[in-house]
Amino acid sequence: MYGTQSKRDLAFEYQAQVPILRPSIHARRANITVKFQDIYGFTVEGNVDDVNVLNEVREKVRQQGRVWWALEASKGANWYLETHVSSTLKSSLKFTALVNQITLKRLIRKGIPPNLRPKVWFAMSGAAKKKSTVPDSYYNDLTSAVVDKVTPATKQIDHDLPRTFPGHPWLDTPEGHAALRRVLVGYSFRDSDVGYCQGLNYVAALLLLVMKTEEDAFWMLAVLLENVLVNDCYTTNLSGCHVEQRVFKDLLTKKCPRLAAHLETLEFDVSLVCTEWFLCLFSKSLPSETTMRVWDVLFYEGAKVLLHTALAIFKMKEEELLLTYHVGDVINIIQKTTHHLFDPDELMTVAFDKVGFMMTTNISKQRKKQEPAVMAELDQRFRRLNSTGEENDK
Amino acid sequence: MASSGNKSINAKLVLLGDVGAGKSSLVLRFVKGQFIEFQESTIGAAFSSQTVAVDDATVKFEIWDTAGQERYHSLAPMYYRGAAAAIIVYDITNQASLERAKKWVQELQSQGNSNMVMALAGNKADLVDSRKVATEEAQAYAQENGLFFMETSAKTATNVNDIFYEIAKRLPRLQPAQNPSGMVLLNRPPAEKAAGASCCS
Repeated sequence: MYGTQSKRDLAFEYQAQVPILRPSIHARRANITVKFQDIYGFTVEGNVDDVNVLNEVREKVRQQGRVWWALEASKGANWYLETHVSSTLKSSLKFTALVNQITLKRLIRKGIPPNLRPKVWFAMSGAAKKKSTVPDSYYNDLTSAVVDKVTPATKQIDHDLPRTFPGHPWLDTPEGHAALRRVLVGYSFRDSDVGYCQGLNYVAALLLLVMKTEEDAFWMLAVLLENVLVNDCYTTNLSGCHVEQRVFKDLLTKKCPRLAAHLETLEFDVSLVCTEWFLCLFSKSLPSETTMRVWDVLFYEGAKVLLHTALAIFKMKEEELLLTYHVGDVINIIQKTTHHLFDPDELMTVAFDKVGFMMTTNISKQRKKQEPAVMAELDQRFRRLNSTGEENDK
Repeated sequence: MASSGNKSINAKLVLLGDVGAGKSSLVLRFVKGQFIEFQESTIGAAFSSQTVAVDDATVKFEIWDTAGQERYHSLAPMYYRGAAAAIIVYDITNQASLERAKKWVQELQSQGNSNMVMALAGNKADLVDSRKVATEEAQAYAQENGLFFMETSAKTATNVNDIFYEIAKRLPRLQPAQNPSGMVLLNRPPAEKAAGASCCS
């Protein structure tokens, strides 16, 4: 059923296959939990309200598709590729590009229709450009050259293949495992500093589900790690991720001071939940279409989108979180919230309208500020552990 | 469960160990009584809680199940800081995983709380045919280092509840003098915790 060609239109097949669910009045009354498949084929558990929300989201996705098609009709196919304002353009063209740029930003925050995602992501993220700088055969050459190599990275990848979204109707098949393996192993040889870091398996798996080809998924992974995200998120000691946690902590203090102070008295460190968010780019926490909506904006606006999203999740539950007494309660509220965020617009509205504007340059400054402290802390820890190791070895 | 006179204790517990040793499976078995052959790999750490009743108290474990890959090591202190107990897990079919477990023990002994209850779990005990680590070897190591030791199987449930129950029994009961870092806290709001420096006042 999921042959080589099936990967191409996986998302739409799901859309076609999954009937609109109409919960019976009895189910509604009983408030029972039902299992259903979402548009990317993931089995989701939710109550009747969740199903209704998901049906509404499907309808919104269709409407949004019509908006994109209408724009293509009026502005021409690929209009969104011509948003770059270059100085060599004539002023009238410049104006058009600028208008397109503003339109595009707004449009992307409202969501890219699933069938346009592969094309739009590939173009606007810079993946297309990256791919164009190497010979056409790069991906095939790379994957066939490393097919029999065994490294710590490949061992870890093999271990994780059946543990990446187990039960998914395509990812958890021999074919799905093989595709995911080629992408991850290929990348581990492309960048030996990153090699393979657990978490990338989930990211690459979702990229495979969205992009039309395995090769494009590979390039999306490359552009993500090399250009979109902050440096060293996934390298040996995850220093980039540590920096991001600190930046986020400061942001939370600034944007939700009461909540930040409350969490501090509980000794709740935001990294307890943010680590997974930032390393899996929310793919393990949010429902799939909601994750995709975050990624839509991520590929266009950059890594600060992860901070916006994380902040929004805390902001949405601020009042409830202020009433907690235990770290465990905080975690439970956050987890329940993310698992049930079936309506992407709810999250996006808070993330970009309510949280307020954040200058990319300010965030970059914050990162620069935190880097030395993180490096010093990691270095100190490393030394301390090594010295205790030596003592014990004596 | 707990009768009215019983103490209620919240205890933070952390699971550490090599990748694929079965940390998440042990937690799943203990918390939900289930076993899944291919458990999603844990990123950062996963949180869950479960309560056990021992003779004189009800212990609510707040469990932090950590990621096993080496590079996640840099995050570990956040999870074992303030922990009342730790289960260090290795896989009996994998000698290297015991070596990694020993590294964790060393780290906890030097960085963790001195009162921490530590257990060594030799998991996958059902895979007797592929055993690489002798029970005696692990037992001897545990004894030398003041840990208690059990071979467990998340798959068959052997010793899983037992190891948590044993930890619950060994947790220091509220004795502030011996327990100044507040590792085991009474189930009450943090405002009081901050205000009352001494719990026996």
